[in-house]
Amino acid sequence: MGKRDVQICFRFGSGTPDMERHRSSGARTPLNSALVQRRSRSKSYRLSYRSCLGAASRLGLTPALTARRLNTSRRAPKSHNISEKVSVEQLALLLKKEWKLSYVTPLYRFRHTQMRGYSRQLSAFIAAEKHQGLAVDVEAAQGSFRASFSVIQGMTETDDDAETILIQIHSKSSFPGQDEPQRALWSGWLTCVYGNPEYLNSLPKDFTCLPLFCSSGSEVLTNAVKSWFQLTFDCCFGPLEISHTSLQWLVALWTNCHAECNIQHLKMIWSVPVVPPLQITYTVDGQDAWELWNSLRRDPQEEGEGGKDEEAGSNIDIMEVERFMQGLKGHFYRHFRLDLSAGSLKQVSTALGLAKCNGRMKISNSKYMIATLTLLTECALLKMPM
Amino acid sequence: MEGLSSKGVLSHLSVLAVQTKSRRNPPQQSTRVKELKAEAEALMMRREQLKAEIQTHKSLQRMRLSMDKGEEEMDEDSENSQLLQLMAKHSQLKDLLYAHHLIGGYDIIKTSLGKGVCVSVTTAYEGVYLDTYNLEIDLKPVLRITRHNVPPFIPLNELAEQNNIQTNIKAFLDVLSQHLNAHAGRKQQLKLVKERFPSVDVMESNVLCSILVLMFTVPRQKTAVLCTLNYSDHTRCLPTTVHIQCEGRTVSTDNQGPPSTVYNPRLCVMSMLSIRTLKHNKFKCPSFIY
Amino acid sequence: MDDPSQRLLRRLLRRIPAGNLKTTLEKWGRLTAAQWRTIDFTQTKSSIVQMLAFCAENEFTMKHITELEMMYVIDNPNKGMWYAFQLIDPEADSQSLELTQFKEQFKSHLCELVRNVSVKIKKHTDEAVWIRIAWGDSYSRPNHLKPTYIVHHLQTPYVFVTGLSPKQRPLVSQALVLSSRYHAIKAANLSGRNLTAIRDLLMKQYQQVFPTRFPSPLSERNQSVSNPQIEREHAGHKENRLQMASETFGDGMLPQLQSSVYKLETKFRDRANQTMTEREEPFKCVVKFASTNLLESLKLCVSSGIASTPVTPLLSSIPLKGRNYFVITDNGPAPSSQMPLSQN
Repeated sequence: MGKRDVQICFRFGSGTPDMERHRSSGARTPLNSALVQRRSRSKSYRLSYRSCLGAASRLGLTPALTARRLNTSRRAPKSHNISEKVSVEQLALLLKKEWKLSYVTPLYRFRHTQMRGYSRQLSAFIAAEKHQGLAVDVEAAQGSFRASFSVIQGMTETDDDAETILIQIHSKSSFPGQDEPQRALWSGWLTCVYGNPEYLNSLPKDFTCLPLFCSSGSEVLTNAVKSWFQLTFDCCFGPLEISHTSLQWLVALWTNCHAECNIQHLKMIWSVPVVPPLQITYTVDGQDAWELWNSLRRDPQEEGEGGKDEEAGSNIDIMEVERFMQGLKGHFYRHFRLDLSAGSLKQVSTALGLAKCNGRMKISNSKYMIATLTLLTECALLKMPM
Repeated sequence: MEGLSSKGVLSHLSVLAVQTKSRRNPPQQSTRVKELKAEAEALMMRREQLKAEIQTHKSLQRMRLSMDKGEEEMDEDSENSQLLQLMAKHSQLKDLLYAHHLIGGYDIIKTSLGKGVCVSVTTAYEGVYLDTYNLEIDLKPVLRITRHNVPPFIPLNELAEQNNIQTNIKAFLDVLSQHLNAHAGRKQQLKLVKERFPSVDVMESNVLCSILVLMFTVPRQKTAVLCTLNYSDHTRCLPTTVHIQCEGRTVSTDNQGPPSTVYNPRLCVMSMLSIRTLKHNKFKCPSFIY
Repeated sequence: MDDPSQRLLRRLLRRIPAGNLKTTLEKWGRLTAAQWRTIDFTQTKSSIVQMLAFCAENEFTMKHITELEMMYVIDNPNKGMWYAFQLIDPEADSQSLELTQFKEQFKSHLCELVRNVSVKIKKHTDEAVWIRIAWGDSYSRPNHLKPTYIVHHLQTPYVFVTGLSPKQRPLVSQALVLSSRYHAIKAANLSGRNLTAIRDLLMKQYQQVFPTRFPSPLSERNQSVSNPQIEREHAGHKENRLQMASETFGDGMLPQLQSSVYKLETKFRDRANQTMTEREEPFKCVVKFASTNLLESLKLCVSSGIASTPVTPLLSSIPLKGRNYFVITDNGPAPSSQMPLSQN
């Protein structure tokens, strides 16, 4: 055990994803289900993505990856018929709602098989909090709350990704027996899409990594859920802002989808630091944005010569994203002689979704949600404390 | 210098001032000599100038003569070229003078981008300077007012068109100035009425100050008088027509007239004067009327 | 008191902030001294109940209630969305129009066009004429809950309107054109929640800056210390930018305009991007600038160097033309709301 860290680095560095993996039946928890005595809990969850990558690059085994940086190249989003994998009812719960984002460190001894138990425990926890007068003051404060955990099957992209969990909190109706479907007072979900396999494999046994936490509903309930998770799974939460670069990535990734699915418009909101603050909303016609994007893509042939990708144009490079942003800013400057680089990108939206720099997002179209969630998973992994 | 801090800067400065003064005033005698010398020098300079002027005039005259005759070629190259230069300078000065005449009275400067000029029109009433208005005018390809702060109730574009701004900018500026000054004057009158005669009720007015309805009471007779001043000539700050209405009888020269009478401006002033003479104890001369 | 008046009064009393209620009612001056003493203004709910009772007691009609509403709206105009219109092509006597004439004519023209309309006209102390219109039709009485407000300064071509439906617009336009002695009216492409701002902008009631031969106070303030040469040069640039910014947007308290919208349909031009430059179709986008005080923000963008000088006509047109909605195309003169982009 003493040499555990070194072993980890070695393991993911060597990049053998085909290692043996134990699966629990039913929902998949991609970790050894065997119980292992943990030596130091605090140390374990602090073993983060960044430190892991840092250690790896010191060993010179992952030259392409540098700690603290987003990927500089990512796969172009392809239309996923995700509704074939995920139930339509469950998908509907994730769409058209604005989610507040947080990152979560890996969960200790989380089991996808114990959803019922967790539902009971969380309900009891909230009731206790309320009893203690810890301001669970929402609309239905009279009644009690009923929490329910469920697994959203099929949101994973690799075998290393853990299945997504959805948590909903309803108020226990004072008039039981009514058939009408209850609207959730609060909902939240934890997910991991295309999590860095090297990092995921480097985690000690008994840890489940679901780094992206999305919540919607009263802040008080969010905090209660977070506290319960912290107590139960020894993890910690933190706010996840969407950086300027990530927003630019979304601009490009979403625009790239236009060929297959009409994005209607590409809307960007900039804030310019003057007094009083100036907000500039720049909305580009979807087709025109795509044509500009297409004109700035690398020459597919050139890419072919590089011999890295068989599928020409399936990879998007950060340089292309930057050229695209430059093109949009240039057109703006030509008219207004005002340099948008002086401001910061605050919000991006298309018919596919919306993302705000303060860590809020909305997915409006399930077809391309995987690409968005991949990016956000990566952001969450990066945001985790050292 | 040591005393500087204790005595303060001002006293030190006054000491220095006295010192310089004494240095500037050497004994009287030498001053007088210097003065005379300077005067002599100035006179000599003046004589040289006059001589040069005579010379120029003479040559100009000769030049004109030769030009009138037409045939006589200018053989004396040096003198003629000198003359031509002088003539060129003369016409340049004439142009400048004309330009000055053109803008006569207006403060005019080049705009920062150098594409046009900025003209200021000041307004005043009874010796008091009021608002200043500015116009930025592009000169090329045609005269065009690009920016101004003239209020919208002054028909700027109509005035520019009517006075043919392209060929006669001075006429345009003059009319504009008349409009602006008249408006400033009327506005000032209204302000003065409100300030100085709190007993006078301003029943009606408008942004252009072209209509003014005043109501006041004749003190001894306790009759209310309604005075309507109409300024239909917007280039003047005197009313063109005046209605005076009062309960029971009219304050006018014509007692047989109906209760409401239209006066011409001169009569108006007269009737206002009569009101004034009647009520001089309360209505101190309403100076705005003349 | 009839039902509609009561409903309007209740709604109005709820709209007036508790802090303003007393002064507004005082100005209205319709309550008796005894009633005035009874009302407890510290209790919002009870004061409203009392007011309703008193108004019923005094047998107030719709006339009295609309009077109160108008007074409140005139004092608090920055609520709804105001749109500016411009009267064009004046008749010879438009400059000598009188208020009483205008009032009578506006009412009679409007009543000729539509039956069951209630018009109330009031002149404010700043010479503005305020018109309140409650609309009805041949079958219904005027609906006082959704009035249109119009503000017009006689002798000027500008009209400001709020709460006007597209259906009623031609009616108001015709009545305005006829009674103010003009030939036509058009949208001035300026709108905002702040009536004062759009009025000041069009009436040129804000401090504009013009080039002068006198040194600006800024150059006197900027006494360089550390490196005189460099500082002087910097100060020179800075001063120049500030002068340009002030000449474009004005000085002092600028009209509080909140937004400006540009619909751009111009070609995408970029030397490095041949594909897009050669494309025939324009690049379609909409740009909206928003701030609590747009002109102030833009002025700072120019003076700080975020926006380059000389200021683009697109931005300087906001104060210069008094507009905040533009359609920009590459080709020359186009319909009224369009403005060709000057090619540099």
